[in-house]
Amino acid sequence: MWLSLNILSKMVDVRGLSPEEIALRLTMSSAEIEGIEYMNYHLKSVITAKITKKLPHPNADKLTLCDLDAGGETYRVVCGAPNHREGDIVALATVGTKFGDEFVIKKTKIRGEESSGMLCSEKELGLSDDHSGIMILPPSTKTGVPLSELYPDYVDVRFEIDNKSITHRPDLWSHTGFAREIAAIFGREFTSVVNYSLEKEFTNTEPFNVRIDNPKAAPRYCGLAMKNITIAESPAWLKAAVTSIGMRPINNIVDITNYVMSEIGEPMHAFDRRKLRGNEIIVRMASNSESLTTLDGQDHTLIAEDIVIADGGGAIALAGVMGGGNSEIEPDTTDIILEAANFNPVNIRKTSGRYALRTEAAIRFEKALDPGLCKAAIIRCYDLIRQVVPGSEAASVIIDAYPDAFQSKTVATSTSFIRAKLGQQIDDGRIIEILTALDFNVKNDNGALTIGIPDYRATKDVSIPDDIVEEVGRIFGYDNITPQSPFVPCAPPSINAKRQFERLTKDILARNHNYTEVSNYSFVGEALLSKIGLNEGLELKLRNPLSTEQDRLRRSLIPNLIENIELNQRYNESFRIFEMGRVYFKNRQEPAALARETTRVTGVLFRKKTDTPLFYDAKTTVIDLFQQLKIKTMRLTPEQNDLPPYAHPARAMRVYAGKANTGLIFDLHPKIREAFEIKGQAAIFDLDLDILFSAEKEITRFVELQKFPEVPFEISVLADRFTYSSEIRDIITASDKERVRNVDVVSIYEGEPIPKGMKSVSIRIVFCDREKTLAPQDIESLQKKVIGDLAAKGFNLR
Amino acid sequence: MEQKLDEIQSKAASQIAAARSIEELENIRVKVLGRKGDLTGILRTLGELSPEERSRIGQKSNAIKDDIESRIEKRKSELLESKINSLLQEEWIDVTLPHADSRKQFVRGHLHPLSQIQYEIEDIFTSMGFEVLDGPEVETDYYNFEALNIPQHHPARDMQDTFWTEDGNLLRTHTSAIQIRGMERLTPPFRVIGPGRVFRYEATDASHENTFYQVEGMMVDKNISVAHLIYFMKVLLKEIFRRDVKIRLRPGYFPFVEPGFELDINCLICGGSGCSVCKNSGWVELLPCGLVHPNVLRYGGINPDEWSGFAFGLGMNRLIMMRYGINDIRHFLSGDIRFLYQF
Repeated sequence: MWLSLNILSKMVDVRGLSPEEIALRLTMSSAEIEGIEYMNYHLKSVITAKITKKLPHPNADKLTLCDLDAGGETYRVVCGAPNHREGDIVALATVGTKFGDEFVIKKTKIRGEESSGMLCSEKELGLSDDHSGIMILPPSTKTGVPLSELYPDYVDVRFEIDNKSITHRPDLWSHTGFAREIAAIFGREFTSVVNYSLEKEFTNTEPFNVRIDNPKAAPRYCGLAMKNITIAESPAWLKAAVTSIGMRPINNIVDITNYVMSEIGEPMHAFDRRKLRGNEIIVRMASNSESLTTLDGQDHTLIAEDIVIADGGGAIALAGVMGGGNSEIEPDTTDIILEAANFNPVNIRKTSGRYALRTEAAIRFEKALDPGLCKAAIIRCYDLIRQVVPGSEAASVIIDAYPDAFQSKTVATSTSFIRAKLGQQIDDGRIIEILTALDFNVKNDNGALTIGIPDYRATKDVSIPDDIVEEVGRIFGYDNITPQSPFVPCAPPSINAKRQFERLTKDILARNHNYTEVSNYSFVGEALLSKIGLNEGLELKLRNPLSTEQDRLRRSLIPNLIENIELNQRYNESFRIFEMGRVYFKNRQEPAALARETTRVTGVLFRKKTDTPLFYDAKTTVIDLFQQLKIKTMRLTPEQNDLPPYAHPARAMRVYAGKANTGLIFDLHPKIREAFEIKGQAAIFDLDLDILFSAEKEITRFVELQKFPEVPFEISVLADRFTYSSEIRDIITASDKERVRNVDVVSIYEGEPIPKGMKSVSIRIVFCDREKTLAPQDIESLQKKVIGDLAAKGFNLR
Repeated sequence: MEQKLDEIQSKAASQIAAARSIEELENIRVKVLGRKGDLTGILRTLGELSPEERSRIGQKSNAIKDDIESRIEKRKSELLESKINSLLQEEWIDVTLPHADSRKQFVRGHLHPLSQIQYEIEDIFTSMGFEVLDGPEVETDYYNFEALNIPQHHPARDMQDTFWTEDGNLLRTHTSAIQIRGMERLTPPFRVIGPGRVFRYEATDASHENTFYQVEGMMVDKNISVAHLIYFMKVLLKEIFRRDVKIRLRPGYFPFVEPGFELDINCLICGGSGCSVCKNSGWVELLPCGLVHPNVLRYGGINPDEWSGFAFGLGMNRLIMMRYGINDIRHFLSGDIRFLYQF
């Protein structure tokens, strides 16, 4: 919303206050001022001047040299306009004049001739859209006068208000509201622009009725008929003012209703009187599927929750949102009815949302306006129309339908409550002074306050003692409050073990295994899922996605991580990344319970050139992660069948913590590498962090150091080439659970003289006994047992 | 015999001087001083001499032995030194080179800057007695709006554009949703923070994201005041930025607090003189906060006449951007490790 300093200054004396100071103090006490804009400040250095001589430019046919006299000062400028003559009074932008941020008038040479200034068109000056030639002023105009004096209404400062910061303040959607704030902040007088004594001028010559069917939906409706209206362009001051407040001038009546809305905060409407069918205006709920075409030409089919303004023939306006096309004022309109009403904010908000009509009126009504504004707005509007449209007059009294008048409100609190909430010593006198300046009616009984709330603050904004605390605090200045540590018992807080576990996991991956943490969106889209082969439609979808790429919630971190590989391979030979984040599973219960969220930790290794499969690097990471997280039992089993489409079926293992399926380790499937043009190897581990967290943990206990000698035993076992070495290892380990200490695969060999389709697995076994030194016969029997057990399972020594 | 001794000495001396290796020196030592050495041979014949001669020759032999030994030692250390010197030459490497095996060129892992700041904030607050809470990212309307004093059709709903899920729930628009869940679980007095991911239905650009991170904070106790709130905010910012940061507190409207504030910090990019990040105001909006609205306490099952509290919601992305001078919020979720390696 825009605020015009010119309009404000009609209600509060701002002399001696710079726009910057006003903006800062409003920001600190009332609402955020997002910007200050100087309107037409260039007019201050554009002066009237008389062309004393006009000569042709020696080097250019279309240019002329003009000698000018401006109140005794003489200037020569080069001018390219077609319409000026000797003796004309023109607008001269003198050297230094700034048009916008970029364009500054400088002393310059144009085709070899010196020019110290520029003669301007009305468009260049911001006075109109006329750009046919330079502006020629009436011959009687004095010279040497800045245009800002001739067009004072065009010179303005406007403030941009952050609308979000006045959501709770219906009164601040107007100049009146801000003028009151400025008055309270700077200790100045506020003067209303509404002259209530004008009501005496109204005589009931042309009666019409107003009927409110549903006072809850429409508490008040004021109407005034006016006649002898001539629709015309607005006068300059009004056009300038309307432009300042960010609107487009339309015609005198529309501009005045807009101006009054901005001035006192009450949205207004004007109907063409002759289009009204009958003598009654009815404010009622729409009937279901009633139709109405609004001023913007849109056809709407209404429902019973919408409020309409209707006449004998049907709806003529969507109440509080937009007028109807069937009652719109026309260029030849002479009789009008002015409307200022009050509507239920929830109805207006729903209607405005339903038909996507976020109009200035709707934005204000949904904030809960003071019904007291209706009459003020009608009177002010009448006042301005009388000034702007000669001969216009009221054709009725104010028809005021107001079945249940607003009950003024009070709030009871105390100065000690206010001090306690702010945590600051502010004496009673200052508290009462602040509240009084804000138009509150304070009765003080030894610190116990009974506070009358002005109606324009009482509709929704101020109702409880805490609201009064805010009023005092913001004017006192929050920056003036001394920070203070509370007196509270010191005790360590409860530990969030889950969070700590997450943090430990991230630290292990980043610091011990050199994975870099990425963070991806929670969203995925169908195209990506299809590319991965995951398009099962199981995701929880968004009702209002921003794009098809982000229209549902991820069930896995992997799709976005694959895109991370695609991106990062462009700049990196190799990398390790991981993400820890939530995945979301649709909950099929009725009524819709929340989605099930689990936390996953997923790592990706990528390398362009590699001689060993990255799978083993991923596996190393997972094994160490389990050990550091002290997972009591870890089991890894080869997985070939139950795999997602992105996993390499010949390079995958399932990971168990205890008995729980915790995730997978795998190399990326070659077809995914192809689809994403991944030029290298990639391995992935994908684990359920919640399972890891709840898995049984190992408690660290000291184990006596090995005292008796370890006896190594090396063998080579022949096996089918698709045999998992873990099978052989498990047989050996099981052959004597106590005394087989270690079984390591040293090497694997395929080729001559090993038969085709077979491999030789070299294994180093360590025997030892915790209680004694192994005797030669013990060793021999251990060796025999190993060999025998292997042979029993079909594995022979080489 | 004395002449023979002199010969042995001079011969040994010249051989020692000419020796080129430690082995050669050892051979000389054995040949002269060893059990079958020349000098040892002479000493063995001493018994055949008269006592006077024996004593004279004996003394001389010992002097020669000492002399030869010291010459050997001296030469030995000379040789050792030159051997080391030549080793040092041989072992010269170009220390300016990186590791020849590019895989061994160490790339450490980096925690995401959002995690780093989250842990810092968690540590600061737990050290001041705050418990860390969690909440779901897909939330109900009740926890995200209703119980926070933002009923249906309240204009304040416009302040937070919301993603709705097909089942009628929503993606939480702020970590404030954690407040109500916290109050339901805990009995006052308590101090909690709730860091997490939040979502806004908003087109992205350099300063807007549809996914970002906040930390919610809440303290409920007897007689909590605005002065207490300001105290905690100042401590937090001082710890985060490791220096006193200029702040200002101005009115801000959030339905779940009363009074409500916007806390601005002096722009750390330009130092307050005005730049694009602070929109030339010198101040950056960092932290909405306020005293918990009595209605919100009631929704949480807490009696507002007995207890009061403050709450705040800190935008972590903005904080990191301020700290490191990051100019585009979209870097955070870009997945680009060139960005992540910098922190």
